Amino acid sequence: MSVETTTETAPVPKKGMNILFGLTLLGLLLFLWLLLGLSTTSFWTSNNISNLLRQGSMTAILAVGQTFVIITAGIDLSVGAVVGFSSVTVAWLLQHGVPLWPAMGITLLVGVAIGAFHAFGIVRMGLPAFIITLATLTSLRGIGLLVTNGSTISISDESFTNFSRADFLGIPSLFWMVIAVAIPAYIFLHLSRWGRYLFAVGSNSEAARLSGVNVNRTIYLAYILSSTCAAFVGLLLASRIGIGNATQAEGWELQAIASSVIGGTSLFGAVGSVHGPLLGAFILATINNGANLLNVNAFVQRIITGVLIIVIVYFDQLRRRGSR
Amino acid sequence: MTGLYDVSHRHDNGATTIAKHPVPKGQPILELRGLQKKYGAVEALKPANITFLSGEIHAIVGENGAGKSTLIKLLTGVIRRTSGEVFWCGDAVQLATPNEAISRGINAVHQEVVLCRHLSVAANMFLGDEINKNGLMRKRAMTDAAQAVLNDLGFNLPAAALLSDLTIGQQQLVATARAAMRGTQFLIFDEPTAYLTRQESAQLFRLIRRLQAEGVTIVYISHRMEEVFELADRVSVLRDGTHIGTRKIAETNDAELISMMINRTIEQIYHKETLPIGATIVETRGLSGPGFSDVSLSVRAGEIVGLYGLIGAGRSEFALGLYGRQPLSAGEVHWQGNKVRIRNERDAMDLGIALAPESRRDQGLCLNLPIGLNINLPVFDRLSRGLTINRGREIENADRQIKDLKIKTPTRRVLASAMSGGNQQKIVIGKWLSHGAKLFIFDEPTVGVDVGTKAEIYRLFARLLEQGAGIILISSYLPEVYELSDRLHVFRQGKLVASHTYRSASHEEVLTQAIGV
Repeated sequence: MSVETTTETAPVPKKGMNILFGLTLLGLLLFLWLLLGLSTTSFWTSNNISNLLRQGSMTAILAVGQTFVIITAGIDLSVGAVVGFSSVTVAWLLQHGVPLWPAMGITLLVGVAIGAFHAFGIVRMGLPAFIITLATLTSLRGIGLLVTNGSTISISDESFTNFSRADFLGIPSLFWMVIAVAIPAYIFLHLSRWGRYLFAVGSNSEAARLSGVNVNRTIYLAYILSSTCAAFVGLLLASRIGIGNATQAEGWELQAIASSVIGGTSLFGAVGSVHGPLLGAFILATINNGANLLNVNAFVQRIITGVLIIVIVYFDQLRRRGSR
Repeated sequence: MTGLYDVSHRHDNGATTIAKHPVPKGQPILELRGLQKKYGAVEALKPANITFLSGEIHAIVGENGAGKSTLIKLLTGVIRRTSGEVFWCGDAVQLATPNEAISRGINAVHQEVVLCRHLSVAANMFLGDEINKNGLMRKRAMTDAAQAVLNDLGFNLPAAALLSDLTIGQQQLVATARAAMRGTQFLIFDEPTAYLTRQESAQLFRLIRRLQAEGVTIVYISHRMEEVFELADRVSVLRDGTHIGTRKIAETNDAELISMMINRTIEQIYHKETLPIGATIVETRGLSGPGFSDVSLSVRAGEIVGLYGLIGAGRSEFALGLYGRQPLSAGEVHWQGNKVRIRNERDAMDLGIALAPESRRDQGLCLNLPIGLNINLPVFDRLSRGLTINRGREIENADRQIKDLKIKTPTRRVLASAMSGGNQQKIVIGKWLSHGAKLFIFDEPTVGVDVGTKAEIYRLFARLLEQGAGIILISSYLPEVYELSDRLHVFRQGKLVASHTYRSASHEEVLTQAIGV
């Protein structure tokens, strides 16, 4: 029994709290850039900046897809494996004479199918998201290794491999791909009813169901979007390294989850945005890039990343508590 | 004075510090002087002076929101008082933590069982107080000891069984046995019979009397007058956070207690307006599904059809079946004269059925999302044009419901979890007002809602009826369904067992039909 009052005053959320948090992250990113610019000579070179943007772009796209899933209170551990598997898929198709555009289309459809399979496991078989996506993580790596017999397939199509090295208006094409994903993602999550349904399902799926939300369809949508983003990143990666290899993108699922969480997504569901994970991904990329420039031991880089995740998410928790 | 089965002496860790000087029967054991609890500016419990006498059964009665839960939480150390003093066996005590309360011998058995479902009965009884030898748990010894206690109490329960295999009633008995075993001197029961069968209730009452005979002081919180008169020696009444008074049970009666509890006449709360009854909106014929069977009833425009019965009698299950949440196994639904099939919630919504479900928390609200999103959830498809939501209409719809329903919030962006029960219920109702339904199903709409909001909800019913809607009102609170329903159907064990027109049967008759004696 709750305490009943007629004179209560509920805490008012400060206007634009989300935007403010976004600005804090942006501030952190700019601060890191400033710091690295002052402490190294090589940071603010066009070469390094485009390298940084290329590094961050792929994680950023994965993180956006991952965020959709996490908002429904789920998790997608398979995205790294999907990236590797997609690189194999597109390389294999090209090797077998499939023209470039159909090959890329088929690869994306494979991503859709993987996401649909995840949702099927969750909705119809009643498996936890953690388990079904963990299972496909290992299986997809296995299938990819089986198809390639454990080796790599090189891609000879130069128009494909040139894409990732190209620039447009002085900005790497890979970063343009982030924008191409982020704008529809923003419209979907923040401006359309389906975005609202993701939040509702993540908050209380029974209440959403009784309000007429098709919960199963919403879950399918979230996992399909995540896997399709991963397949897209698989294409970008294949273009960048010029090969298809099932063991590529090892651990990228954790990078994606970390970017999402740094960007303010709650693993309990129903809290998240599109701009948050994007900033999170580039903060992680900046730290790795900066550590390389400063000749920090690669092992230490991993430790720094871990500590950073704890610190940022802890401050986010404090902020949430404070605003309640 | 220790409890029935003091197993704590096996440990020399001094966890249980039973008072050195036992309080003689009939002398004050726990005294509250000006005990007060404020949440911000809100007084959940106004300064109360209540004395509990050693060895008595002291009932506490009051409506939802009267302050009973606050009082229990203060006594068991779950929350801290704002001001006032508490004397235990004559000494001033803090009762600042649950551990302090337990170590002094104050325990509570809650309405909702708070035990570990995946552990055995014995493991639950010894939880936090296990029998150890060389750092290893002695499972066999605990099972045997627990079984001895259960047998001695006359409970036919296996100590080795998993708690989740027992009924809620049996779990309640385990919780009581656990408290009895732990050197309890002061045991609080919070509406313990809410989910019990009559047999289980009788067992529980025997146990309570036995504990009393052993010298344990019992506080018994209940809605049910007959239980209070059967068990208690004295009774205290709370209303709106105020202690109205304490009476000896022999010197009072139903009518006095009820008038102390509500301080207003029934007519003042339930003003029933008689409206012209229109055409039939929905009719079910022999409808069956999980938890209910062969239910035939109809709802016409302008009328309230009440469904009364005990928890689990099939009322809510029927509502969920009609709403498409549960699959129907037999029977027909006719909507405005046409036979229809309702396969899912969306089908029901599209016909024009709205459901304010039984549990706000579990079924009604997305608690950690804003009020505005909750209100708009069923109608986002109408607020959208093409791919995107029309932001202006989204805001306008949310703000209109907040204003119309007088939801007490500064903006639609406040999270639903920040609101009180009454305001949360208004949000659940607000969801459906913009949807434009013809049939509204309200399942327990006034549980945990204060009196003022109750009256508002009842006025809203009248407004919906005027607009030509029909209402199915489900309630476990007899006066509510009795006074508001044009037709009242009684459910028992999944079946519709009796039907009455407005006030054509007495309370006793309806209650008897629901219980089935």
